Amino acid sequence: MKLHLADYLVILLYFAFVVAVGFIIKKRIKSSNDFLNSSKTIPLWITSLAFISANLGAQEVLGMVASGAKYGIMTVHFYWVGAIFAMVFLGVFMMPFYYGSHARSVPEYLFLRFDEKTRALNAVTFAVMTVFSSGISLFALAKLFEVVLQWDFDVSIWVAAGIVLVYTFVGGLTSAVYNEVLQFFLIVLGLSPLVIVALQDAGGWENVKANLQPQLTHAWKYMGSADTNPMGIHFMSLIFGLGFVMSFGYWCTDFLVVQRAMIAKNMNAAQRTPILAAFPKMLMPLIVVLPGVVAIALSQPGLADKGYKIPVDAAGQLDYTMTLPSLLSHYYPSGLMGVGITALLASFMSGMAGNVTAFNSVFTYDIYQAYFVKKRSDRHYLRVGKLVTLFGILFSIGTAYIATSFNNINDFLQLVFSFVNGPLFATFLLGMFWKRTTADGAFWGLLMGTIGAAITHGLTIAEGKGGWISPMFPISSGMGQAFIVAAFSWVVNFFTTIFVSLITKPKPDEQLKGLVYSLTEKPKYKGAKWYQQVVPIGILLLIITILLNLIFF
Amino acid sequence: MYKRLNQLSFIIGLFFIILSVILIGGYLLSEALNARINLYSGISFLVFGIFMVWVKSGE
Repeated sequence: MKLHLADYLVILLYFAFVVAVGFIIKKRIKSSNDFLNSSKTIPLWITSLAFISANLGAQEVLGMVASGAKYGIMTVHFYWVGAIFAMVFLGVFMMPFYYGSHARSVPEYLFLRFDEKTRALNAVTFAVMTVFSSGISLFALAKLFEVVLQWDFDVSIWVAAGIVLVYTFVGGLTSAVYNEVLQFFLIVLGLSPLVIVALQDAGGWENVKANLQPQLTHAWKYMGSADTNPMGIHFMSLIFGLGFVMSFGYWCTDFLVVQRAMIAKNMNAAQRTPILAAFPKMLMPLIVVLPGVVAIALSQPGLADKGYKIPVDAAGQLDYTMTLPSLLSHYYPSGLMGVGITALLASFMSGMAGNVTAFNSVFTYDIYQAYFVKKRSDRHYLRVGKLVTLFGILFSIGTAYIATSFNNINDFLQLVFSFVNGPLFATFLLGMFWKRTTADGAFWGLLMGTIGAAITHGLTIAEGKGGWISPMFPISSGMGQAFIVAAFSWVVNFFTTIFVSLITKPKPDEQLKGLVYSLTEKPKYKGAKWYQQVVPIGILLLIITILLNLIFF
Repeated sequence: MYKRLNQLSFIIGLFFIILSVILIGGYLLSEALNARINLYSGISFLVFGIFMVWVKSGE
């Protein structure tokens, strides 16, 4: 594809703005707390949009469109089974602990609730995970540039990473968060015209349904058996693996997203951040799943006259990852093409910067300050934070090359999440709601859960991945494998934590105030209007989500 | 004007207004950009950009 001058202008405009935001924010950076934690000064509307935008990286945008084409409308389960319920739970039940404990990070909460070794284990695994996620964003962007713009893959990686480095290095977390909001609007507004024209070209939703197997257009109807749906998974595995373990594990414990709520101005804003974010999140399938479903419909013989096909890779297999770029190329003229390409750039930068800034905070506070260099000046930790930004981006570049061996980057990412986040949610659930949970219980539960994830992955095989111990249990999709790995790791963690806690000594109650549910005063919002309270909005969200599931049953 | 550059809503508004100028200007002046989807998207971005510039975000 050849870009027009106007397309390059749009891309340059975007680069200029994200870098300018970094330099505008630079004036506010006076301490390590400003750089790594935004000093809890960010307004609610910004924290809410940044909350979902941090998850709107390349893996979300390219990966969910790819999954929409591969698995059909079932992909909405990531939103309407997973994300919304978990976001409401985070806002109503978990934010009071995160925000009220004054922890600067999720691993630091684990330190306050349990001990040093639990924090260390979580901090290290989280750091590895963020680097992987960041690398996947980078890989997605470079692959996109290679195919669409014929840019060299290696050069794209280094140039793109350099731009993210500039604005995160000068403006820290605040710069990343502000740019995430700009990126959110660019992604939504930049991709909306594509959804409209592609759906119109396919003859509307009814015609899309008429041209596809019914398994691709129903969210629940074919989930009674793992053999009758494209994800190859039973509905119980989906509800437990994705809806409970993976989604709650990600949305409620992943510091990348939780950090956006932790920097809110006060407790009420911190609680409402994920809940308000859930409203636009609920509608995101229109932007990121629907184009994939329309693309697979357009590739069917009945719509062959439209001239669109999902690209194939060198092996002749459908290259789902390239679904969105190929739709852009097919439907967008010069001008809007620049906007579409920039929206994808924004998704990459949003994902990568989010991961790098979370990595910064965890590495500086929970690894460097906790174990290597304690009690130095704030200026020292500010310098370290900036240096970690640089190294975080270099590590991301390394992991981008690992991601090249997977044909669906979303599967790859879900696999990484299932190793780390799956078991972690059991630790938080028990730690926050069962005061008898001990530090040893949490540590061994977390460790055994992660080992359990690795063993499950080694015993299951899907699309040629896994089965490195013995390919005893074949699963038809990588996504289904990720759910099962997460579910097993959660169960292993849950029961290990309970068992070890029962034979070890818990912390006294006075050390657990503000950290566990039964010993924490609940936030009260007397006199506040219903939309300023978390419970009424949460209930409203759940009702709408259930209705959406019924409509697309 | 300079103070408002510290407001994110203003920056976002400014970005989308410039974007709309590229799309609408391109539609009117360049044959390569003369597609209706450019015009409609440009107008939508302009409306959104003006709204964001106008709104006070309480920062």
